[in-house]
Amino acid sequence: MTNRTAQRKRAATANAKAGNGRRRSNVRGRRPATSRYRTGAVAAIGAVLAIVVAMVAFSAVNDDGSPATPGTGRGGKVVAAVTSVPASALDAVGGGQGIAPPVAIAAGAPPLTAGGKPQILYVGAEYCPFCASERWPLVIALSRFGTFSGLGLTTSSASDVYPSTPTLTFHGSTYTSDVISFTAVETNTNQLVGQGYEPLETPTAEQQRLLQTFDAPPYTSQAGVIPFTLIGNRFVITGSSYPPDVLQGKTWGQIASALSDPSSPIAKQVLAAANMLTAAFCELTSGQPSNVCTAPGVTSAAASLPSA
Amino acid sequence: MSRPSWVAPVGFALAIAGTAVATYLTIAHFTSPTVLACASTGVVNCERVTTSAQSKVFGIPVAVLGLAWFVAMSGLCSPWAWRAHASWIRTARLVSAGTAMAFVLWLVYAELFVIHAICLWCTVIHVLAFGLFVIVVLYGTEPAD
Repeated sequence: MTNRTAQRKRAATANAKAGNGRRRSNVRGRRPATSRYRTGAVAAIGAVLAIVVAMVAFSAVNDDGSPATPGTGRGGKVVAAVTSVPASALDAVGGGQGIAPPVAIAAGAPPLTAGGKPQILYVGAEYCPFCASERWPLVIALSRFGTFSGLGLTTSSASDVYPSTPTLTFHGSTYTSDVISFTAVETNTNQLVGQGYEPLETPTAEQQRLLQTFDAPPYTSQAGVIPFTLIGNRFVITGSSYPPDVLQGKTWGQIASALSDPSSPIAKQVLAAANMLTAAFCELTSGQPSNVCTAPGVTSAAASLPSA
Repeated sequence: MSRPSWVAPVGFALAIAGTAVATYLTIAHFTSPTVLACASTGVVNCERVTTSAQSKVFGIPVAVLGLAWFVAMSGLCSPWAWRAHASWIRTARLVSAGTAMAFVLWLVYAELFVIHAICLWCTVIHVLAFGLFVIVVLYGTEPAD
């Protein structure tokens, strides 16, 4: 009896200990898990906030308004702005005033194509100030039909008229589009070497033939003018569509920002020229893409296009 | 530990508000981005963001993805769902909120470093999504009382 009682007591004590132990274990297991989860949740929220703050701060530090330089993130910001000008700004400017329309090529010239698509050929040079001004609307117009990659920033020659005009360069860039093909030749850099500028790219024999044919009277007042923009053998533009002086004294960033504001003098010139180019490209693509070719700014500019 | 009484109504309100704003952005996407009441010059430029290459993911407009997510979250954060005992609802809510937050971070990155423009309406969406994320990770995994 004594032994049994003692055994029961020991068993009860053991059970109680075990029970207490389990309860303690449960409490310890639940509370820390909840606490750990809550800590993790707060950490996750803090991490999200920290990432956002870091991104905003990094973006702000890299947007100090300093002039753009090729190959930097700020250059990417300029290119992004130029290749995605709001349609509303382009429509607000429309055909503009004082924009030189392209010259129509007489009917009968074989269409200029590449890869089964109408081709646009540009020949210019990085030192050339009129090329500098013409590239802005050309990039804007082409970006409505396709996508550029590798566009860089440069300036025209510091020792020519309209010195150091900020611009983009096609050298090293590629362009893809479902409806048109674009080929650019930048013949020289803006660096003087002896009596001329450093050579950069050389036109092919076929491009030379096109230059001799269309970069000459009656399409231009004198032969060999750059920039030369041949639009599918339907239109040709020699020189700049607008005077480069509107870009003088501006940085790439200021020009890029102004393009979103249709009331700015820069937008009035550059976007009107871009609409004119777009209207000419739409002649080659049979009005495709329709949302581009039927945009009010483009149809307005198309009224000024010459007929062959 | 019981969930604060404000969690369910606030979570539901955030989801409904997000659905409304996402609907607005979706309408703008399929009509004209110019309908957005938002500046289109300078850094704040809704149109540039909503017509950028990043405005679509695998061909699906981001505005549509946002609308679908907020509609789903409206269900997962409805008063009924907060009262429900099914664990899958808590799991779906948490996974959905976490995935959306990662997506929001990518969108913010795209705005700041790729598009170089900020869309105010998109930012409203991001803030609402973040609010839902906070509520869900703090309280959304606790079983209903």
